[in-house]
Amino acid sequence: MMMRVLGMLLADGRLPTGSYAHSLGLEQAVSDGLGAAGLSDFVAARLALVAEPEARIAVAARRAACAEGAGGALSVDDEFCARCPSPALRDSSRRLGAALLRCAAGVWPAASLLDGYRAASAATPRPVALGVVAAAIGIDDGELAALAIYDDAATVASAALKLLPLDPAHASRWVAELAPWIEDAARLVALDTRPLAAQPAPAALGLELAAAVHHDRRERLFVS
Amino acid sequence: MSAERALRIGVGGPVGSGKSSLIAALCRELGSSARIGVVTNDIYTTEDAEFLRSTGVLEEDRIVAVQTGCCPHTAIRDDITTNLEAVADLELATGPLDIVFVESGGDNLTAIFSPALADAQIFVIDVAGGDDVPRKGGPGIARADLLVINKVDLAPHVGSDVERMIRESQARRGALPVEAVSLVRPAGAAAVARWALGRLEELSALGHVHSSVAGGTEPHHHHVH
Repeated sequence: MMMRVLGMLLADGRLPTGSYAHSLGLEQAVSDGLGAAGLSDFVAARLALVAEPEARIAVAARRAACAEGAGGALSVDDEFCARCPSPALRDSSRRLGAALLRCAAGVWPAASLLDGYRAASAATPRPVALGVVAAAIGIDDGELAALAIYDDAATVASAALKLLPLDPAHASRWVAELAPWIEDAARLVALDTRPLAAQPAPAALGLELAAAVHHDRRERLFVS
Repeated sequence: MSAERALRIGVGGPVGSGKSSLIAALCRELGSSARIGVVTNDIYTTEDAEFLRSTGVLEEDRIVAVQTGCCPHTAIRDDITTNLEAVADLELATGPLDIVFVESGGDNLTAIFSPALADAQIFVIDVAGGDDVPRKGGPGIARADLLVINKVDLAPHVGSDVERMIRESQARRGALPVEAVSLVRPAGAAAVARWALGRLEELSALGHVHSSVAGGTEPHHHHVH
């Protein structure tokens, strides 16, 4: 029961982790012509190409941190960077991860694993940071994977309300409609015990290229 | 609270009231006696940071911009994580600082800083925005640690009554100070600079922040004439 409540806490947009400033690529997609009708496809594509692979990284980080402490998680930093060649995407993930760790260090001051990883990691990718937090507070692989994937969809849905004329309930409806898919994907990720190097790692080339364009724009609302 | 950090002063107020110009003037006033950094919270990317860099009052790496996802209110009041990260990164990159000014994105009269982000906050309004602004009130007018009424040199040209603005501000603020300033006049920010040094002295005496500023609250006036 406690574990479920801590999962809710981490998934809550009211937790101060700075995620409201990110659209996860939606702002650039809208600039490039994506309309309200294409939004659910955008979210679904992100889930397959970004959120699920990042959930695998989060789970790998949790396992490594549980087995070897902060040093284990650092090796997963390198795995993330190997899968994320875009400097803009690495940087926005670093910001999200650093903010999550800052918040978590305040919420769980006794968790030395958090301090150890935070002090040692320069990259602090969001999924690795989330995996380290999960290891520190006892969230299991299944819940962690669902959390990572849900968070991606919910962040895009929230940003959509600032970018397109939408009924706020409709943005949440896409997330609700994706719920079965999110749960299935999370279950598969949690059951996959192969090393990360042997797991699927698709590339979202369109998002990577668009992130570079977005990064160089002057008048953008969102960090990513 | 750790003593190994700078005093954080929030600077808020409506669009165009002169927040960035006030910070630039404070950097000129205080730059020789205190190690200063600036964090800007912009609606878009880096407008205010670029303005401050262009004034040449600080080393470029002492000025960083926080992106707010079009929510400068949220970034300074509700979820201050990104600002705390920015201040920490700034001090990591430049070494210890005495004062970090955190400028809010230009906003309406309701934007105030979380006390967890700003040890003290300045709210900046100007005579051209209408001399009834203090009477209308709001959290910035009533509660900021210092209320600055800027551009008093323009008052005769825009038909604003500065005395009335000061009087009605004081009525809202009790004992909290009000400064009427003109940044186009020589040493126009001197009174605000003295106030800032006073806060630095107060909080470092309490052990809340560190300070390299030795004694006295008078900044050097090396810029005059």
